[in-house]
Amino acid sequence: MNNDTNVKLRLNNSELWGGLIGLALGGFVIWSGLKLKLGTINDPGSGYVLFYTGILMCVFAISIMVAAVTEGGPSFASRWENARWGKPVLVIACLAAFAFALEPLGFLLSAIPLMLLLLRVIDPVRWSLAIPLSILAPLGMWWVLKHLLAIQLPSGLFEIG
Amino acid sequence: MDTLVNVAHGLGVALLPVNLLYCFIGVFIGTLVGVLPGIGPISAMSLLLPVTLSGTPESGIIMMAGIYYGSMYGGSTTSILVNIPGEAASVVTCIDGHQMAKQGRAGPALGISAFGSFIAGTFSLVALMLVAPSLASVAIAFGPAEYFSLMVLGLVVLTFLTQGSMAKALLMACIGVVLGLVGLDSITAQPRLTFGRIELIDGIGLVPVVMGLFGVAEVLLNTEQAIKRDIINAKITQLLPNKEDWKASAGPVARGTVLGFFLGILPGGGAVVASFASYALEKRLSKHPERFGHGAIEGVAGPESANNSAAGGAFIPLMTLGIPPNVVMALLLGAFVIHGLQPGPLMISQNPTLFWGIVASMYIGNLMLLVLNLPMIGMWVQLLRLPYNVLFPLIILFTIIGVYCSSNNVFDVHVMIAFGVIGYFMRKLGYEPAPLVLAFVLGPMLENNLRKSLILSQGDLMTFVERPISAICLAFALVLLVGPLLPSLRRKRELVALDEGA
Repeated sequence: MNNDTNVKLRLNNSELWGGLIGLALGGFVIWSGLKLKLGTINDPGSGYVLFYTGILMCVFAISIMVAAVTEGGPSFASRWENARWGKPVLVIACLAAFAFALEPLGFLLSAIPLMLLLLRVIDPVRWSLAIPLSILAPLGMWWVLKHLLAIQLPSGLFEIG
Repeated sequence: MDTLVNVAHGLGVALLPVNLLYCFIGVFIGTLVGVLPGIGPISAMSLLLPVTLSGTPESGIIMMAGIYYGSMYGGSTTSILVNIPGEAASVVTCIDGHQMAKQGRAGPALGISAFGSFIAGTFSLVALMLVAPSLASVAIAFGPAEYFSLMVLGLVVLTFLTQGSMAKALLMACIGVVLGLVGLDSITAQPRLTFGRIELIDGIGLVPVVMGLFGVAEVLLNTEQAIKRDIINAKITQLLPNKEDWKASAGPVARGTVLGFFLGILPGGGAVVASFASYALEKRLSKHPERFGHGAIEGVAGPESANNSAAGGAFIPLMTLGIPPNVVMALLLGAFVIHGLQPGPLMISQNPTLFWGIVASMYIGNLMLLVLNLPMIGMWVQLLRLPYNVLFPLIILFTIIGVYCSSNNVFDVHVMIAFGVIGYFMRKLGYEPAPLVLAFVLGPMLENNLRKSLILSQGDLMTFVERPISAICLAFALVLLVGPLLPSLRRKRELVALDEGA
């Protein structure tokens, strides 16, 4: 029973997973360095610094993992304890949708819904403030950039803006 | 005498109407971002980096520098009145500053913070004027080995001072170096880690990385919790500290100024380290250390002077060696590069107008800040009442526009959002972004100098230890790397370790 709990704790140890990601990245950097050719110490090649940086990454990642195993570490759940984790997830979802919509729809058609969503969904602002703000802020920025700074924001397939 | 002539020449540049305007915009925005929690000088500077392109290099750099030292002034207002640090260097001001405000002494706390900042800012500028040209003439003799070792030292100092595990900070620094190497190899022109994307040929942009890791990630972290603000509602009167306040603050201001300046020069150091060190020093020197934490004016005067002095000192390694000692200076380096300028030992002699113009504008900026932060304090207090749920969508909108304008490329907006999400998870898992960003900027220079030194020495690694400056830097870096393994040094590191974010 006790052993099971320990195994569970170890698998849920966020430090261990952080170290594992670091190790995987380090491995990838070493491989990339080798692929780019190391050269010689007299004439280091394009992959020289990458290769040795990758080795250092692996060393640091392993030391994080060793500390996670020997000293333990907080679980993922405890990292998000008392946090409204749904809110950042919503913001990320809004930003991802915006990123995909920006090029086809253009700045104005994608930024206005983004602003409205952020103003209403996270910690709702009253409609009477949210609607004008979500329209006027992107429109104002677009106007300043286009007419005063001569910077063209994406206008999308509909060529609005 | 030469210095006076140069200062007069610099004043001529700084007093040009256009430069005065840029200086005012810089210190105004700096105070604004310092006052508003959730957006710091790093985000604001990266946001405005593209704007600097529209003017002369002097105007752009004057504005960027103004944002940095302006935020040091503004940050204290939020710390004192709301108990939330406007930016990282004002964390320590919350402790006694807010207690003073609760006791009805918000005015003297704000007053001593502004006057201390002004005195320290002025001192650091005088020292910058005197030290920078001499150091630049010494730095001309630096070779690639010295530069490489100095950059290694800078990265190690920053990782040493970063909160939490040092292994994590070092891992972040390594990732930063790798990200900095994405794009064409500067020696062989071979594409590296571009994954066939044409957008990555020139490397990953500094602006999307910084805006993602500091701007978007900070917003994501803030939306997680309902930000409760304990704003002091009483009318703020009597901003001038009385005789007793001055008597108690004179020593801390002087000590904070000197300490801050030297900590600002150190690679990896900066305003945050300086403010914490000054607070610890004042508490140790005080005859009544028990007053600290309960509204001791020394706990406001010392750190506020130290962080402003450090902001001035941090310009020295950038201007004389071309090495940014912290993330803010890395952004300033970006501004120089955008204008085709390379800060370093030759900049002062080849571009005296720029150097002395920037220094002189900082005097003027400090005067502007005194006016902005004392008579106009009421305006900033009103701004503090802006709710975060209205503020954060605007921050996101500004970051998107800022990133797009820096390259006119939607790809960079995607990169910023990706780094925002990565930065959020990094912070949640205890990985600080500051070493990554500094290493990202230093990475290409570090690689270039390492490869150059190896080619010049025909592969002899002893070149790094045979040259005295290089050897000293590497020895110091080694001590800091090995130090945390010793329990007594580890405890000391935990005491000074801090969050360089925001």
